[in-house]
Amino acid sequence: MNRSNDSCPNLSIRLETASVLVHKAIGAVKRNRIPRRNLIWLELTGCSGNTISLLDGFHPDFKSMATQMVNLLYSNSLMAAEGEAAMERLFGAIGGDYILAAEGAAATKDNGLYNIIGRWRGRPVTAYEAIQKFGEQAACVIAVGTCASDGGVSAARPNPAECVGIQSLLDRKVIKLPGCPCHPDWFLGTLAYFLLFGEPELDERQRPLMFYSTLIHDLCPRRPYFDRGIFASRLGEKGCMFKLGCRGPVTRADCPIRKWNGRVNWPIGDSSPCIGCAMFGFPDAMEPFISYDTT
Amino acid sequence: MGINADIDHNIVTDARTEGLLFRGFEKMLEGRNPFDAVYFTQRICGICSTAHSIASSMALEEALGIAVSQQGRYLRDIIHGCEFLQNHIRHFYQFTVPDFIRLPEGNALFETDHHDFRLPKQRNDRITRHYFDSLQYSRSAHEMLAILGGKAPHNHGIFPGGVTAPAAPEKVAGMRSLLLNIRRFICDQMIPDAYTIADYYKEYFEIGQGYGNFLTFGCFNGYEKLGTLYVDPLESGSGRITKLDPGEITENVYSSWYTAKSETDTPYQAVPEPDRKKSGAYSWVKAPRYRGLPYEVGPLARMWLCGQYRHGISSMDRTLARVLEARKIADILLVLLENVIPGVCIQKEYEVPQSARGAGLIDTTRGALGHWIKIENRVLSLYQIITPSAWNLSTRGPDNLPGPGEKAMIGTKIRNSDAPVELGRIIRSFDPCVSCATHVYSNGNFVKTIQVMP
Repeated sequence: MNRSNDSCPNLSIRLETASVLVHKAIGAVKRNRIPRRNLIWLELTGCSGNTISLLDGFHPDFKSMATQMVNLLYSNSLMAAEGEAAMERLFGAIGGDYILAAEGAAATKDNGLYNIIGRWRGRPVTAYEAIQKFGEQAACVIAVGTCASDGGVSAARPNPAECVGIQSLLDRKVIKLPGCPCHPDWFLGTLAYFLLFGEPELDERQRPLMFYSTLIHDLCPRRPYFDRGIFASRLGEKGCMFKLGCRGPVTRADCPIRKWNGRVNWPIGDSSPCIGCAMFGFPDAMEPFISYDTT
Repeated sequence: MGINADIDHNIVTDARTEGLLFRGFEKMLEGRNPFDAVYFTQRICGICSTAHSIASSMALEEALGIAVSQQGRYLRDIIHGCEFLQNHIRHFYQFTVPDFIRLPEGNALFETDHHDFRLPKQRNDRITRHYFDSLQYSRSAHEMLAILGGKAPHNHGIFPGGVTAPAAPEKVAGMRSLLLNIRRFICDQMIPDAYTIADYYKEYFEIGQGYGNFLTFGCFNGYEKLGTLYVDPLESGSGRITKLDPGEITENVYSSWYTAKSETDTPYQAVPEPDRKKSGAYSWVKAPRYRGLPYEVGPLARMWLCGQYRHGISSMDRTLARVLEARKIADILLVLLENVIPGVCIQKEYEVPQSARGAGLIDTTRGALGHWIKIENRVLSLYQIITPSAWNLSTRGPDNLPGPGEKAMIGTKIRNSDAPVELGRIIRSFDPCVSCATHVYSNGNFVKTIQVMP
């Protein structure tokens, strides 16, 4: 459906960014030009969907990252070690070099008791405490997904666990990769860039420009319908979905060219509006997602 | 989550499953546009998001009086089936296998603190290879899902009335081709690997038995032309298998961190308020009951109730039922794909009534999932969700009956109380959908912390 975009050399080069970067980083690690650094992946208050999305990565993929690019020291979902040994390894990283990736928001209510991520030396460890402890000392902090970036669904009104994005708890720069979930290319490309060259160029919301510089609306294959005033009145219909509530006109992400899951499809390709899941304020500021009475 | 277990002379005398992560979705949904729930509720869980979009769409269909066409159901159920495949392959290889197979040394991801690995090197290595191969197949199950669903996790395709986009012929052909490869992997690698592990860990057919009360809301069932391809709503609490009556479902918060006017409610009654300081409570998970009793849900429950697996009820049987179910689902998807008529547009413009209510009950990867909604002034006024993990990891009611996961651990003989691998293996056999760490205590004295994967 989106062939016209794919044939633009500028866009097709952008599409390759993540895999080229990961390939370069793996090559540099192999030739000992850069060290294979430690990666800690924390799951805070969220759905672990960013871990699943990472596993869905393809060119670049999770396996090359975990076996050739970094040393994945801690991932609650994916590591074989069980709790105490796992928490020992996590806390053992303090004082050493590591990159921190965090998914999920930080629950601050009752001092963080609304999310206990483990127990270390007989004491419960809250997500609130963990993100502060590990965030301050990391070589780089990457917020993976909308919850970690800005609170996301975990902080939706009335925000019962008093969740916040991790930047609010850290007095240092956080690279934000919003998206619900974060596209695996966005994370793997950013990580590889950091390993190779340090911090990538960010916009005013701390998002890497290489993935978040363009409005969905500007690359949307349904844009010609918008320009001619042809609007869909129900899902599944041809036409621009602006009047059904599409948030493409305000959302910055490269979904129209990158697409999802092996690049087979994306929400607008599936005849449903963009719900602005990569936008600051999602979900509250992006609702209603679907509306039939907009005129 | 955590497990708090009392171990006396190497026997588990008591166990409590503790959900330690609060989400609060039900409160968040109050006051929102009803349609938004389909996309909003998926964010409950990154590995089973599709299930929530189905339950939510079904609840809206009942509330809004929307009839689902057969083509709509086929397409929606195909998307759901892709999620079963993705989930079962990931759960078996990424979460069950590391419990029994020694994964390559030198990678921090694979270091463990127990040594109960029994397979001879050649067999161990074979399953290790499949651990890595499986990543490709679970990924292609999500690719299949995205062909019809737009993206995964958190799809856009499932919506009241069926799905958003008609299926183009090339999409159907592309999905079939991916499906045949996944099915081959399930039949040639995953099922034999599960039986190989079972051969070397035979005592797990006696460990983790639980109540044996099974319940399903049904799935891939009741099609006009195709009939029931899998299982109808059934339960086996009385010892024989009978039709399920959803009116018999209640939920209590007796041992959970919530306060409510009445500690036991039916789903359409109020949603309780979180209260982390409630005394006597030990978990965020509530206690769903059917006719007042705890029930186990999931692949073993379904395979048992529909008569396709009757070997036994235990940790190992849960794992075997899960991998066999993966093959069953792949076969069902082949039938559904064959019956899809490409290009049929299903969606209409819908209107939200002033007030209404509806329930969406569906069996999904981990078992019975229910969404109950009420609409007032054209917005959601109540949203009640009972997840499969709430059934399996449920807490205790006033009668102090353990939840199914707790029951399955009580009485277990622990070989080495310094490394009680049995408890993690039992809990993981339920495929608990909670991302968390599991803490094991002995008589209140800290023994060790173990981890339960989502």
